[in-house]
Amino acid sequence: MSPYRSVFKDETKLDINYVPYRLAHRDRELSLLTEFFSFLLRTPEKMTQRVIITGDVGTGKTALCQRFGADITSEANKRGINLRYIHVNCREYRGSLFLGLYHVVSVFQPNFPRRGYSPEELLGILMQILDEQKVHVILALDEFESLVEREGSEAVYKLTRLQETRLNKPERISLICILRKLEAIEHLDASARSTLQSNIIRLERYSELQLMDILKSRISLAFKPLTVPEDTVSLIAELAFSENGNARFGIELLWRAGKYADAEDLDTVAPECVRNAVSSINAVIRKSDATSLSLHEKLLLLGIARFFKQHEKAYVSLAEAEQAYAVACEEFEVEPHSHTQLWKYLRTLSSLGMVETEVSGTGSRGRSTFVSLPRVPAYELEKQLNVLLEEEKS
Amino acid sequence: MKVMDMEDFFSSKVRIKILKTLWQVGELNISGIARRLGVNYETTNKHLKVLENEGMVQHKRFGRIRIYRLNEHSPKTKSVQNLLEVWER
Repeated sequence: MSPYRSVFKDETKLDINYVPYRLAHRDRELSLLTEFFSFLLRTPEKMTQRVIITGDVGTGKTALCQRFGADITSEANKRGINLRYIHVNCREYRGSLFLGLYHVVSVFQPNFPRRGYSPEELLGILMQILDEQKVHVILALDEFESLVEREGSEAVYKLTRLQETRLNKPERISLICILRKLEAIEHLDASARSTLQSNIIRLERYSELQLMDILKSRISLAFKPLTVPEDTVSLIAELAFSENGNARFGIELLWRAGKYADAEDLDTVAPECVRNAVSSINAVIRKSDATSLSLHEKLLLLGIARFFKQHEKAYVSLAEAEQAYAVACEEFEVEPHSHTQLWKYLRTLSSLGMVETEVSGTGSRGRSTFVSLPRVPAYELEKQLNVLLEEEKS
Repeated sequence: MKVMDMEDFFSSKVRIKILKTLWQVGELNISGIARRLGVNYETTNKHLKVLENEGMVQHKRFGRIRIYRLNEHSPKTKSVQNLLEVWER
């Protein structure tokens, strides 16, 4: 195969971090979001806003928010308004308010010391910086669930009631909280919840036709003309629709199918390439999911994968998984986390669909948790995690 | 405070290293500078005070934290920056 021949024109347009200029089938939500924040373009220091964006995986929550952030920032700049949009993925910062805020501070003040102060002090420092630079920030907290889970009501309260301790001072921070399900904030106390829940934008799952449109618009950006036949687009849309209308899954599938076409030196992305891509996606965890796991979540998953590789069993108990995890920790020279912590990691892995958990029923003493890997071959999973962990280590 | 002679000023390796570090990274707190230089906090703080007295660096305060940077308006700083440009680039 010629290394220079490819069906792709620009495959970066299929990257998970790429945000298209126009979001298909999210015009209404984008207008609503713009409307919520329109005051920023008129009276930027007089008020702040709090909005929740909710929807399933692959419904375009992050893309919507980032598109909005880029659009409003550019409009504000044209009008001479000092506005910054900052996107923080709370899960990347392990749900820590301190680490999330530190990221925001370091946007304005690179090399800011990491240690020696509390989240409250850091919030004070951030306000001081924003006052000095006379800037308003739209802070988007993606995967907000992990912040709520780790920090609880206190953190939400601090973020939303910031202005109450700064009476008569310019208002500086607006919030967009992005989460999958509203239930995640149900256990917050009433006062923290009430400050959040006034403006909610719900993103519904995409229909098959909508997915077709989304795929076609990406194809025109990423592929050479006439390289992706209509049949292939329909097949990918159908598969993405069966994955709960997950557009991200569809785009990843499109990219992989393109790679298969290139590997086989084809002129077009045939439906067979999609079938190959689908089996490869199901064989390992999706790249985007696996890289978003924390170090210890990866190590736990590695332990589970190794257990299944060595034993011909369908289930592993949490205790056995814990032992395998400890061995993985030793190999990567990190201190293993506690049992309670592991239980949380297991819940994350389960919510991402990487493992399935089952609690033992009647007939046995006590309650044990059993874990299975329903879709992923343990050997492939181990290989993928080893690569990711080695990258993280280096 | 008495302004330093040039010979005295340039006699300190730490002071030159502080200026070079701030020239390279922009802004830094005292511990950050000390860590990069491999000297202790007290020594760094002492030399930063000398540099500040000469008008060559300035600081911003965030609560308990002081962040230092070069004073771009100081002719002395500019002359050191020129030297660094010649020697380090």
